[in-house]
Order: sequence, then structure tokens, then C-alpha cells
Amino acid sequence: MISCRNLTRRYGEFTAVDSLNLEVDAGGICVFLGPNGAGKSTTVKMLTGLLAPSAGSVVVCGLDAAANPQKLKRLIGVLPEDLGLFDDLTVEEHLLLTGAVYGLDRAETHRRTSQLLHTLSLEHGRHTFAAACSHGMRKKTSFAMALLPNPRALFLDEPFESVDPVTSRIMRDLLQTAARRGVTVFLTSHILSVAAEIATQVAMIRKGKIVWNSPAGELPQSLEAHYFELVESPVVEELEWLGSPPS
Amino acid sequence: MARLAAILKALWRAFQRGEKSFASLAGNNFFLVAVLFLGKAGSFLFLIMGLVILFPLSTDPLRKIPASRLALWPLERRERWLLRAISPWVNPMTWAIAALALWAARGSVTVGLWALAAGLFAAGFALSELPLLAGAAMWRRVPHFPGPLDQLVRKNLREMLSTLDFYCALLLSASVGIYRLLGRGLPAEADLAMTVLVVVALSSYAQCLFGLDGAGGWSRYRLLPLRGWQILAAKDAAFLMVVAVLAAPLAPLAGMGAALVALAMGRRPAVEDPRPQTRWRFSAGTSPVYGIVEVMAMASAASAIYLTSALLLAPCVAAWAGSLWWYGRRLETQG
Repeated sequence: MISCRNLTRRYGEFTAVDSLNLEVDAGGICVFLGPNGAGKSTTVKMLTGLLAPSAGSVVVCGLDAAANPQKLKRLIGVLPEDLGLFDDLTVEEHLLLTGAVYGLDRAETHRRTSQLLHTLSLEHGRHTFAAACSHGMRKKTSFAMALLPNPRALFLDEPFESVDPVTSRIMRDLLQTAARRGVTVFLTSHILSVAAEIATQVAMIRKGKIVWNSPAGELPQSLEAHYFELVESPVVEELEWLGSPPS
Repeated sequence: MARLAAILKALWRAFQRGEKSFASLAGNNFFLVAVLFLGKAGSFLFLIMGLVILFPLSTDPLRKIPASRLALWPLERRERWLLRAISPWVNPMTWAIAALALWAARGSVTVGLWALAAGLFAAGFALSELPLLAGAAMWRRVPHFPGPLDQLVRKNLREMLSTLDFYCALLLSASVGIYRLLGRGLPAEADLAMTVLVVVALSSYAQCLFGLDGAGGWSRYRLLPLRGWQILAAKDAAFLMVVAVLAAPLAPLAGMGAALVALAMGRRPAVEDPRPQTRWRFSAGTSPVYGIVEVMAMASAASAIYLTSALLLAPCVAAWAGSLWWYGRRLETQG
């Protein structure tokens, strides 16, 4: 369902993503992990057509991303790194825009909008402009926009960060339901406990290169232990002034 | 005092780095026209020019520090007062107004002129203090439009209404309306001249149509299953609607011709060199030379339509449609 071959992105001399090969089956939830600046968001951007690869190919839902960008856009839902919201539209207007642009009729758009606003606890802020929303509300709005057209594949860049625990739970349930019904999910996250809970596949990236890719069940140890061992270990430098009485 | 000095130093650095108002003025078409016609201008044009110049420059430097950060810093009450009193002097315009006050005291300039300049400065300063974010309640009442691009057109209209270009054009258009209401007739040539001025006041915005969308908006455009020309058409629809309303009491067809030319000529910088814009400021076009050429083309188109035939609107429509098609494709292929 999602396949990339030798996917590479260079910025001058710097290679952000280096010859990435990855396959995610239909109905799978692939959690893509890595430290800040490892190349996760660059990968998501290339998979969703936000960024042209320097080399390599992407196939999503059987469509070559480079050859069929318009067709592909109709099949995928995306929560981008910058959330992709317009300051001058309200939460509800973002969803109505999405329904109209993806070809849903008015009644269906309103029905799904109401359901998503309710499910994600956005009802009270439905008339709030995105510019005035909290970061959590903005993230939920962008998540709702990704779900509303009922896509065949979902690409979510750090969906659980900065949302409240209840919404995080709801989002996980929605993603697992979608995956059970055949939707392919590709997401990045720094919250390893959530990643461990929902992943059917785990991939780890470090300095632009894939360092681990396997079904979640084949991890040799807990996800957190494996991440610390393979990607980066938390080394705390001794800051002798921290906690000392003020001079 | 060391804390205060450190904050003022940081403020000075941030203000210098972030201050784009002078650059924005240099690229604003209305400013260029006002400078070109300075010698022939009447007091009304001087007043509008004063607005154009003083408003963008009259920002409160203290806004460069996020309010939450300022509140968290361990400053004494006295230090906060001092910061409030000293920080405006980081803006060179404060010094200019003070110098003007000295000249007024010596009789070099009239007290009235100083009062006008100081008033405009104070208004701009206060306006920059107000939380005029995107999303003010007044924008909710923007009307709906038929078709799937409804919300995009509404958004674009809201963006346009949060630039000072619109209010400058509104002032020009409304002044003609008031002049007529007072029972004074305008010569036919004045209708044309005012129409051109109205569209010129709006035309810099045509060079930076995506300037208020931000990085998030730009991402969304690339994710939505829309063709490039559709995204541009939603932008143009808002622009043309504003022109249609403001030029209606003047020379509407000439205004539309000039607006179509402004959109067609503004397309290249709007799509290929998208420049971030600031709300409640004048739009900054790409360069003075580009602006002058654009203004001349707009004035020529408006004059030709007004003085010869409305059929000359057709080439303007063709130029606009061509730019829509070409730059729509460019928009889709940008990586």
C-alpha cells in the first residue's frame, strides 16, 4: 500500500534522507521513530507530495506519487508537521472546506463535520479561528481534516504530541478502527508508549538512514529499550549548578 | 539596571532584524505613485501619504517580546515602567517625531503639521498594540460564495481585509462618494484618475497573494486535491470582488481592466517569489521598478477602456486568463 524505493532528499551537501526503502501493507500502522532532525518529517513530506525527492520513487495506493499527484491527493489524508491550517478560517470552516474540495456533497460534509467535531471535543471551539486556537485544538483540527474525506492511507506527523490524554486515546482508537478496515497508517511520534501500543510495524531512522524496520512483534526487546539502544541513548550531563542553592 | 539594559539591547537587535516596514514601503505601489506625484499633490493626497508612511513605521518595539515571556521575567515594578517608557525610543520614528516637535517649537514647521504627524504616529503605535489577530470577530460576517472554493474565497477576502492597502483604497473611494454626496460634481477625468488610484492602492497585494497564508497555508494548498489555477482563481475572486465594490462609484470597467492587469503582472512574484506579509501593514511588492511598470500598465489599460471602448477589457481578460493557466501549472510543479 505504501512503498518507497531508494528515497533520498539532499539539501546541497547535506543528505536529510538517504536511500530509504520501506513497505507498509494495507491495514498496517507503521510508526516511524527517530530523534529530532533525523529525517522523519522530510520522509513524510516526500511520501505525501509536499516535497520532491532528490532521488527514488514513492508508490501509495498503487499510484506513483510523481506521476499521479492529483489522483494521489484524493486518496490520502495528511496531518503535516506545520498542521496546514489557514489563520483566517475557523475550525469548522476548515472541515467544510475539506469536504467541498474532496467532492463530498453538502449534507455528507456537514454530517461528518459534526461527528468529528463531537468526537474530538472540538464542538466548543468550532467557530474559533485557527489563529486563535491552542496548539492542541489546531492539531485536532488538522487530524479531523485528514480523516474527513475517508482516505485510503493516512500520513500523520507527530499526531499525539500536545493533545490531551482523552483525545490521544480517541485518536488511537480511530486510527486502529481505520486500520482494521483496511486504511494504511504511517505516523511519526516521539511518544514511545503510544507508538508501542498501536504499531503493527516499527521503523527507526537515524541521521537519514533506516536503522530498524520490522513488524512490531519482532522487536527483540521493549520498544523504548530498543530505541535507546539503536537510535540514541539518553546521556544526562552533570550540571553542577542545577539545584544548588543560589549564590 | 543591568537587567533592563540587557532587555533593551535584545529589543534593539530584534527590532532591527524584524523591521521590514521601510522595505515594505519601497515596494508598495501606492507609495511609489504618491512619491512620483508629490509635487502636484493636494493636501488630501498628502494626508493619505502620511497615513501610508507613518502607519507601518509606528510600531511598538516592545511587541517584539512575547507578552508571556515579559510577564515571566523577574523585573521590578519600577523596571517595567522604565522599560515601557524607554522602549518606544528603539523605534527611530519616535526620534523623528521628537525632532519635529523641536522644529515646531522653533517655528520651523507648524504646530498643526506636528500634531498631525504625532497623531498618526500615536494611532499607528496604538494600533500595533491592539490584538488585531487574524480571526477577529468582525471577519465572521464575510458572505458565502457558490461552489467548492467558497471557504477559500472567504479566507482570501479576510486576508485582504486585514491589510492597510484595502483601507487606503476604501478611503479614496469613499472620499469620492462623500464629495458627490455633498453635491459637488466630479469631472469625468477625475473618475478615471481616482479609479486608477484605488486599484493602485490595492495592486501591491496582487504581487503577494500568498503572503498571509503562512507556511501552514502553503502546505495545505499542496495537499488539497485542487489544480493550481483553482487556487489562484480563489485568490483572484477575492481581489476582483474588492475592486468591483470600490470602483463601482467611479469607473467600474476601467477598474476591472486595471485589476486584471495587476493580477496578471503580479502573478510571477506571487507564485515564484512568495513574500511573507504582515497583517495591518501595507503590502510589500517585489521591487520599485516592477511596481512602476505594473502601475503604468494598469493606468494604460484603465485609460484605454475608459476613453475608447469597453471591448478593450477583452485583452485584459485574456492576459489574466493566460497568467492563471501558466502560473497555475507552475504552482503545481513547485517542489
